[in-house]
Amino acid sequence: MKVLLTGATGFLGKRVLRELLTRDIEVRCAVRASSRLDDINEIRTELGRQIEVVPVDLATEDGCHEVVSGCEVVYHLAASRVGCTSSLFQNSVVPTRELVRVASESDVRRFVLVSSLGVYGPQKLPRNATVDESCPVDEAPQLRDAYTYSKVVQEDIAWQTARENDLPLVVVRPGVIFGEERGILSHRVGLPFGSRLLRMGGRQRIPLTYVENCASGVVLAGLADGVDGQVFNLIDDALPTGRDLIRRYRKSGRRLRVIGIPQFAIPLLAWFNEKYSDWTQGQIPKVLSRHRIDAMWKPLCYSNEKAKRLLGWQPSIDVDTAITRTLSFSG
Amino acid sequence: MSDRILRIGLVGCGQIADAHLQQIRRASAAEAVAVCDVEPLLARQAAERFNVPMRFSNLKAMLREARPDVVHVTTPVHTHAPLTIQLLEAGVHVYVEKPFTVDAAEARQVIDVAERNGRLVCLGHDQLFDPEWLRVCEIVASGILGEIHHVDSVLGYPINGPFGRHVVASPDHWVRQLPGGLLQNTISHPLYRITEFLDDAEPMIQARWFSRLPEVPFPTELRVNLQGEKVSGSLLFTSTTKPYQRVTRLYGTEAGLEVDLNAQLVRFHRSDCYPGAFAKLEAPFQQLRESCGNLKRSVGRFVRGELHYFEGMKRLFENFYDVVREGASFEASAVCPPVSHQEAVRVTSIMDRIFEQCRDEPRDFAFSAECKTGNEKFTQAQCTREERSREAASELVGQGHLS
Repeated sequence: MKVLLTGATGFLGKRVLRELLTRDIEVRCAVRASSRLDDINEIRTELGRQIEVVPVDLATEDGCHEVVSGCEVVYHLAASRVGCTSSLFQNSVVPTRELVRVASESDVRRFVLVSSLGVYGPQKLPRNATVDESCPVDEAPQLRDAYTYSKVVQEDIAWQTARENDLPLVVVRPGVIFGEERGILSHRVGLPFGSRLLRMGGRQRIPLTYVENCASGVVLAGLADGVDGQVFNLIDDALPTGRDLIRRYRKSGRRLRVIGIPQFAIPLLAWFNEKYSDWTQGQIPKVLSRHRIDAMWKPLCYSNEKAKRLLGWQPSIDVDTAITRTLSFSG
Repeated sequence: MSDRILRIGLVGCGQIADAHLQQIRRASAAEAVAVCDVEPLLARQAAERFNVPMRFSNLKAMLREARPDVVHVTTPVHTHAPLTIQLLEAGVHVYVEKPFTVDAAEARQVIDVAERNGRLVCLGHDQLFDPEWLRVCEIVASGILGEIHHVDSVLGYPINGPFGRHVVASPDHWVRQLPGGLLQNTISHPLYRITEFLDDAEPMIQARWFSRLPEVPFPTELRVNLQGEKVSGSLLFTSTTKPYQRVTRLYGTEAGLEVDLNAQLVRFHRSDCYPGAFAKLEAPFQQLRESCGNLKRSVGRFVRGELHYFEGMKRLFENFYDVVREGASFEASAVCPPVSHQEAVRVTSIMDRIFEQCRDEPRDFAFSAECKTGNEKFTQAQCTREERSREAASELVGQGHLS
């Protein structure tokens, strides 16, 4: 079987590539012309396997045709994480639209889109409710950060095109992916403010997924039978709280200055931020809008039952070990 | 028109469009009514984030349905001239983001069309309307500095920022196809801070570009000396030094002055009043006094919510909109936009000459073989300018943009 993998040079993509190759699957990697191929070459040498690498612009129909042709499964991971909204749309949403459209005209039997757990809109859920795949997607994603907004629209476009063209689409929504090259302190734990970290709440569970666990879940989403049209959360078990993560981070010998914002104060801060931003016509942006705080820092539970049940996925590396590995990485 | 809120349209929903839409929202007596982009997804994100009621991927449809009084052009530079001409001929006034056009020939063509149609074009030299810059202009006008003889203008550019990284990673990026490459897209700001005081039509120019970054295959550094009849200027554009400055220094016959638009502060350089060792105390004391004044001023502006990065852009918009209203009451040819048509052509013409010289004399500086290839590409690009303009326009027509 031959599969197409986009984003193979990225943090998650190179693990997915390795996982696919260890399962004896033939892989074609679609990369940008400017991408560094060091990691792909290292995997190629280490595993002694052929990897087809095609430099391509996925925002063009011709480019998509070139790479999709002959592939049974498409794993679409390529996405920008930083930049302004328009560039995230140009680099993530537009290529997704083109790739899904072209895949639906080809012999692709499964299209796996890697989305994000951030697309959920849990604003209306009560505290400590469980976020599973039935939770609605954010209805006003333009009020969130640029990355989340682009992921919501990316997924929306993919579903729309897949429905119109009968493309077997599967969407995976990983939580906060961490690992050796990406630390454990995400915005869900707190926001950087100068040299300090504003810890937001602290007792809420952080929906983490270790990059290797996540990669195996992504691969299974392309291989499992009878899951077309499904969505899967990929989150590890026994999730730590924000306070746990800060404690572990400090215990590893790293220095971190923290200003704790208690859970009850977050809505007040958001109210003030919104009012001040409106009053000053945006002198300070609405970083803490009330819409955003409920999605980011409300105490919630996260379910990965569906992925375990239908994909046969198990996060094989437990969170504790994964955090230790991540923190021991000095590179 | 003078009594009603101006209807504003915007074409080109990339990064700078965010700043425009934010400042249009802040501007008095104006309302963003429509956005347009050849890529519908880009129009969608701009409209949703800034609550713009209408969005289009076809310019004619926007003009017909949204009926804007003014349209802002925030597309890539090579489309500025064909789009602006299209808009002027459709009877709207146009605000064009810098740089104005690919070259002076296009700039003249745009101005001709504007004047023939009795419409106004305003070029986005927004830093000239920044509150600190306006303060500097007042100081110069008061005569405290004497006659200005020289202007230093510095721009630090984050080549590793989101836009710069994208340009570096994309050999086909439109910025790299310009005759002056990345520099053409960015030096307008430091250049017009000089030409504000240097009013010669054709100053003498010495210009060189080079690259200090081996991984970047095009020039990322520029040094320019300008010599006018009364005023000289020097422009430093750098991608390798920090902090990324937006600083201008004025050298007058009585005193000097430095304005830092990032930090929003003005500092004077005065001659000593006291003799010998006392002068060494006087200078830091003067600096302390100035720092206190700058701090007080910034705190006041922060409290009043006036510390916006694009405050100058908002003020330029308001000035332009006022002129558009005034033009409607009388006639457009009787009024002048805040950045005049002549100034738009003059600055574009100076930029042309800077890049011509850079392309002609690149060898005195050590720069990579890749950079030389870049120069060849720029030269070719210039040769095919007219061809490209035609192609750009026809491409937009083909995609429904101008149809």
